[in-house]
Amino acid sequence: MAQGTSGDRARHPTRGPSDAPFLISLGVISSLYILLILAMLVADASFTAPKHFWQAVQSREIRYAIKLSLISCSLTTIFSIWVALPIGYLMSRYQFPGKVLLDAILDIPIVLPPLVIGLSLLILFQTPLGRAFQQVVPVTYEIPSVIIAQFSVACAFAVRTLRATFEQINPRQEQVALTLGCRRSQAFWLVVFPEARRGLLTAATLAWARSLGEFGPILIFSGATRMRTEVLPTTVFLELSVGNIEAAVAVSLLMVMAAVAVLVVIRVFGWEKTLGRPL
Amino acid sequence: MNRARNLLIFSALAVAILILLLRSKPTPSAAMPGKAPLVVYCAAGIKPPVEAVARAYEQAYGVSIQLQYGGSGTLLSNLRVAGRGDLFLAADESYLLIAQTNHLLEEVIPLSRMVPVIAVRKGNPKNIQNVADLLAVEVALANPEAAAVGKITRDLLRKTGEWEALEKGVRVFKPTVNDVANDIKLGTVDAGIIWDATARQYPELELVAVPALVSGEQRVSIGVLKFSEQPTAALRFARYLGARDKGLKEFARFGYQPVEGDVWAETPAVVLFSGGVNRVAIEETIQRFENREGARVTRVYNGCGILVSQMKSGQRPDAYFACDTSFMREVTALFSDPVNISRTAMVLLVPTANPKSIRTLADLAKPGLRLGLANEEQSALGALTARLLRAQGLYDRVMANVKVQTPTADLLVNQMRTGSLDAVVVYEANTSQVKEFFTVIPLTEPGAQATQPYAVGKNSEHRLLMERLLAALRSAESQKRFQSVGFQWSEEEHE
Repeated sequence: MAQGTSGDRARHPTRGPSDAPFLISLGVISSLYILLILAMLVADASFTAPKHFWQAVQSREIRYAIKLSLISCSLTTIFSIWVALPIGYLMSRYQFPGKVLLDAILDIPIVLPPLVIGLSLLILFQTPLGRAFQQVVPVTYEIPSVIIAQFSVACAFAVRTLRATFEQINPRQEQVALTLGCRRSQAFWLVVFPEARRGLLTAATLAWARSLGEFGPILIFSGATRMRTEVLPTTVFLELSVGNIEAAVAVSLLMVMAAVAVLVVIRVFGWEKTLGRPL
Repeated sequence: MNRARNLLIFSALAVAILILLLRSKPTPSAAMPGKAPLVVYCAAGIKPPVEAVARAYEQAYGVSIQLQYGGSGTLLSNLRVAGRGDLFLAADESYLLIAQTNHLLEEVIPLSRMVPVIAVRKGNPKNIQNVADLLAVEVALANPEAAAVGKITRDLLRKTGEWEALEKGVRVFKPTVNDVANDIKLGTVDAGIIWDATARQYPELELVAVPALVSGEQRVSIGVLKFSEQPTAALRFARYLGARDKGLKEFARFGYQPVEGDVWAETPAVVLFSGGVNRVAIEETIQRFENREGARVTRVYNGCGILVSQMKSGQRPDAYFACDTSFMREVTALFSDPVNISRTAMVLLVPTANPKSIRTLADLAKPGLRLGLANEEQSALGALTARLLRAQGLYDRVMANVKVQTPTADLLVNQMRTGSLDAVVVYEANTSQVKEFFTVIPLTEPGAQATQPYAVGKNSEHRLLMERLLAALRSAESQKRFQSVGFQWSEEEHE
């Protein structure tokens, strides 16, 4: 290894014969994965034609599925963040008996097969309590079931992300704020929260993306009723189940485009905001 | 703390806006005024014809149909847990059978037939002609545990001894028949065994019929769910779907081979010919059947001899419930295989005090008695009575005492009530309402009973409806009604 000060490296990051193999291998491995993703999309595209997109977008059912997908994912994201924020904070700051168990419970939605989550929700809302709740708000096979199914999985990912975020934030500054006379809530909102913005954004995008792709629980808990509980993955499933692979691919690519668009917008927008403030 | 408040306000606002956006959906067919939608659990593979029929039905009758798609097995678990919905349309019979075993279904209406075939890409590039050819190419099969076509293929090929080799050479097992078809279409495999109906939906595929698989024919049927809160509306749509001039046309258009099916009528009107003796036992069952089906059953009760002569002169009831098998035989060409429903013994009816001391059939020959018998030509009871008397060598002497002959037994009972007769021969089933006035003497002679068969008219436009009436007549509730009025349940029933 070529020795040098850190200043040297900053000015000449690729200098020295021994850095190149390292960086090249990193680059190769990275590009392999990116190539794989792009190749899948290209293969998809080769199986469809502009007319299939056009047909898909013209279909009333698919337009509804796009709308329901986008709206339900956004609602899920908001709910997930509000729930994940306190859980992530508490789990990162406090030690208490049974924490290990609680931790494991919070992972259940991530570990469970999606079908099981759907089935569990379906059964839950048929219990006397669930039935009573449905007297007020019908859930099973209705739109709320889509959001609940998405939420029950997406929230777990948001919790993971936010907890890691809070854990990386040094509690020292918070403690300093407390010694300076802040209440806990003030310390949280004035000191911790601004530092967690990036993590918050990641958690939100993860929850959103996760919900967009959510399918297993929705199929069971919400059904696949056109113009009602049909989200984009449902559309893909329905088209596949009658052999219309072209339309299934067209809808899949629509999903990819929607996802990329939203993720890019959030990241760019969120990035600038984050950079615009002192961290 | 402003930050917290701002975040809260922002979130609440965003949620409100999003929910509003959801609400503003262009109200789909789901919101038709006044009527609850019919929820149909529909196997995703049968979507094309069912969706087309459902839209046509919505337009024609203003009932909204909510189609809930999924794999048949998934739907089955779903509806079991959810305990709601009206109809279940499974990809094949096996799921309906499971649903029936679990007491989830009432009526089942058949829609179309399908047979397992070998499917290949158009032009059959690998020239596959039979199951043996499959060993040389890449093959996808449906999983025998998950999909009916897989199970049937396995069972049939085990019989021909071809399964073991095929199973070893198979490239992949897929969970549904459409997954197999998709693999062939994509070129992942060269061939697969799928339903002919599935293969016909793929323009890219060609099907090779295999004699070994032909006996694996299955029917696609729709069943009414037990917990449906609107069974009549559900049945009506199911009838529409299964009507030869309505839904089945769509099935044919999408490459299915539809069953014969009934002719569509919003309120079907059918005619049932029934022997008079059966009336008390079946009347309530038929009324319930009419209410549930939304159909009108015109009942013609009469002596079976009269009914038979009406049929011989050209009348064609949709079904016929005879008083005795002997009166079915004469018109058997008009009907499909009759099913025996009940039996009733022949009895002597005498006044409670029995002043003329009548105890056996032979006592009827005593001079000076006033007897009533059913008419030999007009009714089954009369014919059976005459046969019995001839067998005992009593016919001429008894006939000398006969004062009145009627076409049906209930008229004889009425005559007895007026006191104008000393004894009559009727069915035990005629006596249930009058036991307090008379003594009932069972006849022990062999052949002193009648068996009531039911048969559906071969040319009826509502054969399936009449089959369902048969099912209603054979139900446990109907059995209770028969037994409460003095019929015995036919043993054949308990198969």
